[in-house]
Amino acid sequence: MQQVKSDIVDYLKANSFMDNNTSLKDNDSLTQNGIIDSIGLLELMDYICDKYSIEIPEDMLTPENFDSLQGITNMITKLAK
Amino acid sequence: MSKLVCKKCVLDSDIPGIRINEDNGLCHFCETYTPLSSQEKSEYLTKIEELFEQYRGKGKYDVIYALSGGKDSSYTLYKLKKDYSFLKVLAVQFDNGFTSEGAIKNAKKMCKITGSDYYQLTMEKEILYDTFRNAAESYDLFPKFAKYRASDICNVCITIIKQKLIEQAIIQKAPFIIFAFTAGQSPNPIINLSPNFIQWSRSLFKKQLEKIGVDDKDELFLLKSKVIENMGENAPSILHPLCLWDYSEDKVLETLLEIGWEQPGIADINSTNCTLNSFACYNHLEKYGFHPYAFDTAGLVRSGEMSREEGFEKINQELSKQLIEEAAKKLKLNVKNSQKILTTTI
Repeated sequence: MQQVKSDIVDYLKANSFMDNNTSLKDNDSLTQNGIIDSIGLLELMDYICDKYSIEIPEDMLTPENFDSLQGITNMITKLAK
Repeated sequence: MSKLVCKKCVLDSDIPGIRINEDNGLCHFCETYTPLSSQEKSEYLTKIEELFEQYRGKGKYDVIYALSGGKDSSYTLYKLKKDYSFLKVLAVQFDNGFTSEGAIKNAKKMCKITGSDYYQLTMEKEILYDTFRNAAESYDLFPKFAKYRASDICNVCITIIKQKLIEQAIIQKAPFIIFAFTAGQSPNPIINLSPNFIQWSRSLFKKQLEKIGVDDKDELFLLKSKVIENMGENAPSILHPLCLWDYSEDKVLETLLEIGWEQPGIADINSTNCTLNSFACYNHLEKYGFHPYAFDTAGLVRSGEMSREEGFEKINQELSKQLIEEAAKKLKLNVKNSQKILTTTI
């Protein structure tokens, strides 16, 4: 689980969504903290599908699942089982 | 530390968040860049053709097309209809209050040439001016990475266009929305939207508008709630075919001029349709210190669709003082007398 969070943070930093020195708490909102918007979400979804070889069902595309590190990690863990 | 410039593209270490590896001289985007191979591009095009075959002919239009009247969108419409003449296209031109007469003329002409229907989306000018003024006066309205792609003004404008094109696609039951984004601008050639995602992106834009003091209660800019309610389960897909075709600005212009598209005579190297663009670039440079076309241009250079020299020329060209001042007057904003960028008149 920690590895997934670390992958997501690395991706966000590597693609300049956030600075190297920005710290992000598990439940911080990615959209409300100015890290991603709708285009960023699309890119993040692509990255997650490729990286974890999963398909994200339509009903899981919600803020609960995509707007925080914790939500994303929970969703990936559930789908990658 | 002195400024380092990526030796492959046009990004430099003065741009916030851009890191240049001193060992190999590359920015972190060039270091990790893997272009779509010819085979991958061809596979994407095949996939798009399959989607056309599967979903066309279900409603009055197959495609809702974003037509600015500028060179890229005019060319993409032309090639799209040349390659897929069976598509029924509704081309939507957003008149943001700064669309040049030449762009409107070109858009209508391109629709006539390609047999597409033309629809002009517009709103009361003062409402648009107020909104763009608020965007110009805002700081950090969009996430950091969005600032790489475009100015705050352009981000607001393009988001309105996206909202309204999705709205049209739902109303018209059109399965596809097509934008003429280049490889430097588009994240993905095919984006399958979903009702949840459409709802979420609407709510994100609503919050961004509220942040700049725009209460869009009449849903002029936002996708109308009633349209979303009636969407059902089938959401449109967004396609970006231009990023799969061979692209060269010279080739695009040559083709367009041959078929009757006319140079609009705007003294802006980055836009052939919008007279607000120079002001938007000026505003972005003043606020954030780097050119809003730097990332887009870097993408074109990185992918080999533009030479590095052309890229530097594009982002270092002086902005038109006349265009900036005319736009500022409409927006009731002052222009600082910046020596760095305001030296050219037309």
